Amino acid sequence: MLRFVLGRLVSLTLSLFVASVVIFLFVEVVPGDPAAYMLGLNAQEDTLAALREQLGLNGTLLERYWSWVSGMLTGDFGTSYTYRTPVAEMVADRMWISLPLALYALALSTLIAFPVGIWAASKRGSAVDTGIMGLTQLGVAIPNFWFAMLMVLIFAINLRWFSAGGFAGWDAGFWPAMKSLTLPAIALALPQASILARVMRSSLLDTLGEDYIRTARAKGLTRAQALWRHALRNALIPVLTIIGLQFSFLIAGGIIIENVFYLPGLGRMIFQSIAARDLIVVESVVMLLVFAVILVNFAVDIAYAVVDPRLRVRA
Amino acid sequence: MRASRNLWLGGLLTAVFSLAAVISFAWVPYDVTKLDIGAKLLSPSWAHPLGTDHFGRDILSMIMVGARTSIAVAIVAVGIGIVLGVPLGLAAAARKGSLMDEVIMRGNDLIFAFPSLLIAIMITAVFGASAVNAIIAIGIFNIPVFARLVRGAALSLWTRDYVLAARVSGKGPVRISAEHILPNVTNLLIVQGTIQFSLGILAEAALSYVGLGAQPPLPSWGRMLADAQTMFSFKPHLAIFPGLAILLTVLGLNLMGDGLRDLLDPRLRRAQR
Amino acid sequence: MSLLEIEGLDLAIHGTPILKDVSMQLEAGRILGIIGESGSGKSMTALAVMQLLPEGATARGTVRLNGHDMLALPEAKLCALRGNEVGMVFQEPMTALNPIQPIGRQVAETILVHESVSRREAMARAREALNRCELPEERFPMSRYPHELSGGQRQRVVIAMAIALRPKLLIADEPTTALDVTTQAEVLRLLKRLVQEDGMGLMLITHDLAVVSDMADEIVIMREGEIVEAGPCPGIFSTMSHPYSLGLLEASDHQPERSAATAEAPLLEVREVIRDYPLPRRALWGERDHFRAVDGVSFEIRRGESLGLVGESGCGKSTLTRAILGLEAVQGGEILLGGAPVFSGKRPNRAVRRKMHVVFQDPYGSFNPRWKVGPLVAEPFHLMDTPPYGEARDAAISEALESVGLSAEDAEKYIHEFSGGQRQRIAIARALIIKPELIILDEAVSALDVSIRAQILDLLADLGKRFGLTFLFISHDLSVVRNVTDRCMVMKSGRIVEEGETAEIFEAPQHDYTKELIAAVPQLPEARRA
Repeated sequence: MLRFVLGRLVSLTLSLFVASVVIFLFVEVVPGDPAAYMLGLNAQEDTLAALREQLGLNGTLLERYWSWVSGMLTGDFGTSYTYRTPVAEMVADRMWISLPLALYALALSTLIAFPVGIWAASKRGSAVDTGIMGLTQLGVAIPNFWFAMLMVLIFAINLRWFSAGGFAGWDAGFWPAMKSLTLPAIALALPQASILARVMRSSLLDTLGEDYIRTARAKGLTRAQALWRHALRNALIPVLTIIGLQFSFLIAGGIIIENVFYLPGLGRMIFQSIAARDLIVVESVVMLLVFAVILVNFAVDIAYAVVDPRLRVRA
Repeated sequence: MRASRNLWLGGLLTAVFSLAAVISFAWVPYDVTKLDIGAKLLSPSWAHPLGTDHFGRDILSMIMVGARTSIAVAIVAVGIGIVLGVPLGLAAAARKGSLMDEVIMRGNDLIFAFPSLLIAIMITAVFGASAVNAIIAIGIFNIPVFARLVRGAALSLWTRDYVLAARVSGKGPVRISAEHILPNVTNLLIVQGTIQFSLGILAEAALSYVGLGAQPPLPSWGRMLADAQTMFSFKPHLAIFPGLAILLTVLGLNLMGDGLRDLLDPRLRRAQR
Repeated sequence: MSLLEIEGLDLAIHGTPILKDVSMQLEAGRILGIIGESGSGKSMTALAVMQLLPEGATARGTVRLNGHDMLALPEAKLCALRGNEVGMVFQEPMTALNPIQPIGRQVAETILVHESVSRREAMARAREALNRCELPEERFPMSRYPHELSGGQRQRVVIAMAIALRPKLLIADEPTTALDVTTQAEVLRLLKRLVQEDGMGLMLITHDLAVVSDMADEIVIMREGEIVEAGPCPGIFSTMSHPYSLGLLEASDHQPERSAATAEAPLLEVREVIRDYPLPRRALWGERDHFRAVDGVSFEIRRGESLGLVGESGCGKSTLTRAILGLEAVQGGEILLGGAPVFSGKRPNRAVRRKMHVVFQDPYGSFNPRWKVGPLVAEPFHLMDTPPYGEARDAAISEALESVGLSAEDAEKYIHEFSGGQRQRIAIARALIIKPELIILDEAVSALDVSIRAQILDLLADLGKRFGLTFLFISHDLSVVRNVTDRCMVMKSGRIVEEGETAEIFEAPQHDYTKELIAAVPQLPEARRA
């Protein structure tokens, strides 16, 4: 098991390294002179020089990469050109909206999908199954930001249960803050829950067809006992993969949903930075999001090994 | 029997929207580039079945033209995924465990760490927003999808005795991949292609909704929703119809994908017999 | 009252009749052998007793187990009976166990489901059941996972699960078909012992007449859902009258007529061949270990000869086959066909390769399902410098198909239109089309029903005579090798342990392993052989 974790850790570090190189090359090398790009066409030569100095563009590529990465490692994400504030500070504020939103949505999606998927699989071919499958088919097809707009229309504008947007802030207390994240989280979670429920169902149906389920039935287990004790944990293996993938979709989707609800999270920050051509912010925030995705996939790999003993030996 | 119902319903929805896109080249009810402020924000009526937007443009016409953008972006993006992903997957499987396999698969993992939105953000930050950049962003993300799918399927095909028989007959890995592996993964490609197509439409809508996709004056479903954002509380039709267009197109493609899988997957067919 | 009484059992799945008027009975402490080829309904009979029938199955008639009317009992009562009064063992031990649960818990579950005992007591009794199935604690702690066990060991775990509560009836559906012959003998011995110790009834289902003839008290022979013959064993072997049973008996020990026209010149020479596989690295920077799959093997096949290679799974015979086919490099020694090396780096040496071809075991995996039979059969033409095309090619395909008893029109069909036996004929046609001298038969008849197998063996013998072919016959099945080869070799752990005239080896084996192998082969009653 330890060997397995170590092996995964090595591959995690490698992915992070390569990802950082790709982002660095793309943002700092592809545009040519980032300083000229950021200031636009009519920039004065001396302001350009000043910006180059500030961005550390005068060193070699290797020096620049190293200073960026070593800065990130020590928590220094550079300084935003437009806001003149450290990026780390800006990120720290906004992360506490984006991260809880993604986790909230992930929790909702899992909590909805598991029972629904299991229910459909255990009633295979029945009206319940057909109904659930039809609903999830709709859920998969619905664009989450449009669903978010519909929910605003119904629950905020007509019923007035929620506010149409904005964030109460964690200072206002846990529940008010969660309340302002609830509609966004539901909008994010619904399509993901639909996908997950479908995967749960089909994976469970696959395992229910396995020989060891027949063996279990021959031991005297009822259909339901065989499902809960033998099929479910085996069916989790592909489901875990999807949960891992979903986290990256939730992070990306969150960026968009924050726009619908005017939530001051990382997503809004990214779009404002793009509009302002603030490459430093874009570079660091993208790296941070990629880091989150890679970290989650690492966690999923470990979860695999916990569920499936056959993987523990393989490094 | 459910399989064919999915296929019919999905095929019908897909056909309707494809047809709308094709017809829009020759005819639309109203010109979508002409602004008519006098007719702005009209609710649905006989003259404008789906109403008009804040510039007085006919929403039905915009949805028809928008279908072009959505479908074109999604098709090209799937094409990129297939053209680049399939050979990579075949090559990785043919040389399983080699350095090449390792590099291809690690490269795939790396792309999976960048959701297509993040790729689009990076491209847009550097090159500016456009439909082409949206295509590239979605297309890049499709490459590992197809590469993984093909590699996984091909690996199991490589253990078949007919591949061994081909090797005994002196055939090399390229020839075997083309003659024996590829024909046996096409069903999978068709099914996955349909699914990626629908995901592409969703992704394009999301990108143009946040302004990273098609730029004005090219109409697109996502941007119609973005434009509706400030007004849909009192003019819901602005948001409802473009959203429904996305929903129904994606639903149609997904149903078709399911139907095709049931039809083409020999495993399921055998089970039915 | 018998332990198990089946009377007039009819069974249909979605309206298709599967069983027709099946009746049999079994007393406690006795063994009932049910014999049949694929599609005979023997497994469905077993599932009907368990009431674990597939969806859409409807059964009529009576199945009475220990007084319970199994067809009338509600599901809850059936669950209480399964595992408690009747246990079942299945064919495929590799997939019969839950891969992510330790074996101890899986055995204990049988007890926990039926009796309200503490987990600790259930585990203790599970341990006892595993011990009885010859899985001693020192080597097989309860915490083992299925993937850490071999096929035979897994089958013992499945048996332990089935007998943990000492059921009155045990149903074993092809319990040893997937196992090696020595393992098969051990598992059969174990089953016999359990029957004696517990006085339970055993319903033993198999396709292999010899397996039941050693063990069973009664025998039932089934075909296409009907019982064709039944009677006490071994008496039934001398009183059999139904043509199907007689045919089955003949086919089980079929000896094709062969001519032994052997020249002195060697066709294939294998000298001191070594084949190593790299193992995964132990540590990141450690030395790579190697697994030696073939360890200094030498032999020759003379032209026109039929040489057998016998060994159990994992002995290295498949690896050796690939090396002989020139698909992989060897790490030591050389393999010459007609005096030239078979392996020539990345570019295959086609002049050598076209002197041999191969027929594989699995009739279903041997053909690309998207190709028609014509191109499939013609594929080896790739080895020719100037392959025939147009009419000449079609003529060659027709000739090859006709020589294996198929027709020229079959070239236009897809492979799924053919049965397993026909597919194996097509595989032979594919091997013949380039007129090779050596044909390697890699378990080529192992997946076939005995009657089909007899036909294919006859076909091979006939082709050998007509085209002067040389055969390398690789198999785990000793009785087949005995009947169709001139000489044979026994392989174990990568080495040839014994080699000689087939008749001599079977009459007077020298090596201990050969003796063990031959002793493990189930025998039909001597009365029949004479």
